[in-house]
Amino acid sequence: MIKSKRGALSALLAALVTVAAVAAGSASAAGKPIVIGWAFDSKGNMSPFDGPALAAANVRIKEINGKGGVNGRPLSITTCDTQNNDPAKAKSCAASLLGKGADIIFTTCDVDYATPVVQESINAGKLTIAPCIGTDQMGPKRFGAKGKLAFSFGNVAQDEGSAMAEYAYARGWKTAATATNTLLAYFKIVVQAFEARFTQLGGKVVDRESYATGANNVQNAVSRINAAKAAVYVTVTSFGELPAFVTGIRSLGNNTPILNSWAGDGTYWVPKSGVSNYYAVTYASAFGDDPNPAVNALAKAVKAGTGGFVTGAAAIDGVVSAIKRAGGSTDGAKLAAVMEKFNKVPTISGLVTFSPALHSVSGRQYRVIRIEGTTEKVVGSVVAKTVPKVG
Amino acid sequence: MSALVPHLVGAIGAQTIIDAIGQGSIYALMAVGIGLVFGVLRLVNFAYGQLIMAGAYALAYSSQAGWPVWVGIVVCFAVVLALSLGMERAVFRPLRSQSPAVMLIATFAIAFTLQAAALLIDVRDGQIGQPAASIASLNRAIVVGGVDVRKVTIVAVAVAIGALALLAAILGRTRIGLQMRAASSDFLTARMIGVRANTVITVAVLLAGALAAAVAVILTIQSPLVTPDFALIDTVVVLVGVVVGGIDRLWTATLGGFTIGFAQGVINGALPTDKTVFLPSIVFALVVVVLIVKPAGLFVRGRSSVIDRV
Repeated sequence: MIKSKRGALSALLAALVTVAAVAAGSASAAGKPIVIGWAFDSKGNMSPFDGPALAAANVRIKEINGKGGVNGRPLSITTCDTQNNDPAKAKSCAASLLGKGADIIFTTCDVDYATPVVQESINAGKLTIAPCIGTDQMGPKRFGAKGKLAFSFGNVAQDEGSAMAEYAYARGWKTAATATNTLLAYFKIVVQAFEARFTQLGGKVVDRESYATGANNVQNAVSRINAAKAAVYVTVTSFGELPAFVTGIRSLGNNTPILNSWAGDGTYWVPKSGVSNYYAVTYASAFGDDPNPAVNALAKAVKAGTGGFVTGAAAIDGVVSAIKRAGGSTDGAKLAAVMEKFNKVPTISGLVTFSPALHSVSGRQYRVIRIEGTTEKVVGSVVAKTVPKVG
Repeated sequence: MSALVPHLVGAIGAQTIIDAIGQGSIYALMAVGIGLVFGVLRLVNFAYGQLIMAGAYALAYSSQAGWPVWVGIVVCFAVVLALSLGMERAVFRPLRSQSPAVMLIATFAIAFTLQAAALLIDVRDGQIGQPAASIASLNRAIVVGGVDVRKVTIVAVAVAIGALALLAAILGRTRIGLQMRAASSDFLTARMIGVRANTVITVAVLLAGALAAAVAVILTIQSPLVTPDFALIDTVVVLVGVVVGGIDRLWTATLGGFTIGFAQGVINGALPTDKTVFLPSIVFALVVVVLIVKPAGLFVRGRSSVIDRV
């Protein structure tokens, strides 16, 4: 009897100690920051994408923390400069961020450049996010089983091309000539998706041209496409080929509308003499006339040059939703499982949907911007109704 | 393949030829600049493209400052000439007695230093690339027999011919030209008979710089966005063209530059558009064939002396 009383007392004490320990643990976790480790390129080729996305994320985090954080925990960002995405430096950045206790890793907006960071991060079992990789490569398609942990808040290129086709067809442009910059998979896939969806809608692609960054042949494509009579010219490119293509066509006295993707957003490339009848389908307006006032406030705060900045804040919104849906957990596998089930989850850049196969955004409401002279202006919005299976 | 050949031949229309002449002319100008420096210094200046890039940035920033185009062009020439002179004084002159390999590597180092510096300056506004307002009206075309002839093509051809004529006059009819030819033939002997080495080299470097500035103006007419790698690929292609043509003589080097630009334009125009991805492979495969058949240069008579390697 005495033994049983002692046993009961011991059990009670053990239970109390356990409860106290759990309670103490919860109390300490309540204020512990959720650390986002962000490997970014501060002054290299990807800095125009990484910089604004990071700045927008910081603004968003400040707002969220001001409202009490995520389940009572503040968010914080620790950064590491990949120095123009040098692979060795990028890898050591990821290792360093993980060593500093990062719960989630963010990486740059090109999947090739991002790979060293992604691999290091997913091998450590962390949720890995790219704010604006624009292909379907950020996920299992490229990184195999562990790629389940990798997501991008950039658009699926197929979705973007499809949205461009929907806009073109709705504008009454029933014939199109396309010019593909063959440098990047993203460029090619967007054009392929445009062609597929445009044809599906009843439009006709009357001419297909191609050129490549570094091949010095954009003027040949200009000469050829100029001979094609189409209601709209579609090209997906940025870099030096963008103004070369647009001004090349205009200098031949040809004022056919030119339609580009997010790649051609912004006015940084526009010569002082200006351009005309030029359109781009993009994430958001960076020039203060976005239909969403929150986006305009953010654009002003980060001094954005293109609409891509908004993905930094959208990625934070997405991560916050995932953590809340996972009951406050920051475990990579749990968060990834939740994110794969995202179906029209609201973010500052619209509703975000993922699937087990597709870890980049589809179904986003794109803004259509038009540049006349040197001024960019929102002239519409469009959502892709279907995502063509191309690429 | 058998179906591709007739297509290639049939696709070479007048428009393709005109576009190719324009490209060839610009490359010829670059080849003159590269050939001139090689002639007196025996130096293949890999950093030549970065001089063009610097000139293009000068045009871009001048236009952003709201200066008239002519002021921008003056600034472009000033920047390129100053850089050329600085390069000669700070690097080429101290290394003049070193082996060609050392000097070549030095030009690689200069090239990448200038490119990295340009990136740091350019990206300050959060974007890479600065639009240059050059003489945009020259990009317009005149229609001749249904073919669009861009004014810039005419200008490029005229400048190339004019520059070559001017150089011929300088080399053939002036004292400094005579000294440059002497230095080009045998630098040591030329020095012994009183040729002022520093003056000759400085003049050659400045003339090459002036040509680089002219190329910067012409290139920004068709490609207005200036980036840190502006003219980089062109320089590599022209360097190859110069060797293919015959680097030992200015004329053969210039013809080599024109030929590779022209060939690139023609082959690109002839290829089916979805096959243009093969353009570099075809061009450089032809380069290999030419070098095997005519190692001294496509436009050089006879054979070069053979160098013992073992």
